[in-house]
Amino acid sequence: MSRIIHYCRINGDGVVLNGEKLLALESADTGENLLAIYRHIGQDYPKFHKMDLMSKVSFLGVELLKSSCQGLASAPDDAVAMLFANSESSSETDIRFRDSYEVEQLPGPSLFVYTLPNVALGEISIRNKWYGEHMFAVFPNFASAYFADHSALLLADGAEWVIGGWVNVRSGPDALFFVVDKSEEEGNRDGLMNRLEKLYSD
Amino acid sequence: MGVSVYIGAESIVSPLGLTAASNTDRVLSGHSGITLQEGRGWKQRDVYAAVVQGMAQEGKFERLLEQSLNAALMQWDASLLSSDDTLLIISSTKGGIADSITDPFHPVVSRLESLFSLRHRPLLISNACVSGVLAVNTAARLLKAGLYKHVVVAGGDVVSDFVLYGFQSLYAVSDAPCRPFDRDRKGVTLGEAGGALVLSAEKSCFAAEPFLYMGGAGANDANHISGPSRTGEGLVRAVSKAIAKAGIDRSEIGFINAHGTGTNFNDEMESIAFGRLGLENVPLNSLKGYWGHTLGAAGVIETAACLQMMRRRSLAASLAYASPGTSVQLNVLTENKTPDTGIFLKTASGFGGGNAALIVKKI
Repeated sequence: MSRIIHYCRINGDGVVLNGEKLLALESADTGENLLAIYRHIGQDYPKFHKMDLMSKVSFLGVELLKSSCQGLASAPDDAVAMLFANSESSSETDIRFRDSYEVEQLPGPSLFVYTLPNVALGEISIRNKWYGEHMFAVFPNFASAYFADHSALLLADGAEWVIGGWVNVRSGPDALFFVVDKSEEEGNRDGLMNRLEKLYSD
Repeated sequence: MGVSVYIGAESIVSPLGLTAASNTDRVLSGHSGITLQEGRGWKQRDVYAAVVQGMAQEGKFERLLEQSLNAALMQWDASLLSSDDTLLIISSTKGGIADSITDPFHPVVSRLESLFSLRHRPLLISNACVSGVLAVNTAARLLKAGLYKHVVVAGGDVVSDFVLYGFQSLYAVSDAPCRPFDRDRKGVTLGEAGGALVLSAEKSCFAAEPFLYMGGAGANDANHISGPSRTGEGLVRAVSKAIAKAGIDRSEIGFINAHGTGTNFNDEMESIAFGRLGLENVPLNSLKGYWGHTLGAAGVIETAACLQMMRRRSLAASLAYASPGTSVQLNVLTENKTPDTGIFLKTASGFGGGNAALIVKKI
């Protein structure tokens, strides 16, 4: 069976890592809040500043997981699979790109390249030199069954760790990131789904 | 031995036709769906694109999916679609963005769910240009694990102002129809299409003989979000893993349907990867010259076309290819050819560094 070994919640209230509040977010501006997290965890990665909001939140979530999960931080380059989803696809950046041609009359290529939700997974892969499997799906609501089913399938199919990520940004960050690995312990699909629902609603 | 996964009931809805068979007739006779779209581009520039005529722009994404599904159902036990054992996977990059920028997917998915009386909420995969191949690989994984008995994969994307202006802003839309892998290659040319495939653990539910899905895998380039890798590392890994999972020797691959968008960097990357894999002499084509780059639909319709080409024992020439021009020379088909073996490899690469590969065998 599979189990969740680390998790990180980022929302309007702040950052919680494995149940402990790491940081409260005080600004009304999502970009400023994400910069505060970036500084708090001592990042030095200039590409961060070019990313769109969804890539930034996803990048920070994975860096936070790595800070508490040794295995992940030193994983072989194809041992980590990424399984992400959200409800709003890349629409935050899509709207900005549409405004660039409809309002500013100049389509912005630096915005357009972020108008695919899986680009966040590309940014994380580049940062970590991870060559593993990755998938982005879009659901109307938090999709615990998707995470439970497909994390187990990816673990059975060669991955040693699966990073799950639910990441919305349009109304401020609303994200849950977690690491799933294989376990000898008894467990079941419903158990994993209940745990995820609880972590997301807490 | 685990579960055998069969694949068939292919459909394609494109400027070239409304079924996989009619599309393949046109492909094998060298027709392209790419035409000059006057004033469709940014600042009313003329652009080449493959556009489905006679279908309203509003709601086009939904109609492409619906027609593709209906065409696939004609070749499969259609009653199974609303079974508890069946999942629908939808593959798309931008969905109905021309209808709703804030919600390009959910309303369409909900309507299809109700129209086809589906028992499970469809899985919508949006993973750039590898979405279609990834959707097929994901379907196979679900079947092998026994979570479903049947998975229908439908892909669709529409040529919208959003996507056209975006590719134009990257200077990535060519001034002539795309010419993948050529010395004077051109690309991207965008296209719109829908397509569907059925994957099933039960061979008997297909009207025509299905194919055997042998294996598939994905890998990230970890290189650049919008530029192909110079080394082809992600594609090499995806194909190597797919070959290993299929349990075949690479010499058994008789045909490669590559991604082949026609851009300098993409086609160069693919040539390097196929060279590193020792597959540079395998007969290869890109189908982008026929349909343009149909983004989230590409992996689905191109796999569907591969099934059709294998059924007819005729592999289509890579349209508009004339002279070798990649640093590793590939065996690009300049005319239609009878396949040497019954096993083909389909690959895809895309924004976000994604690569995916799948291997299918004729039974």
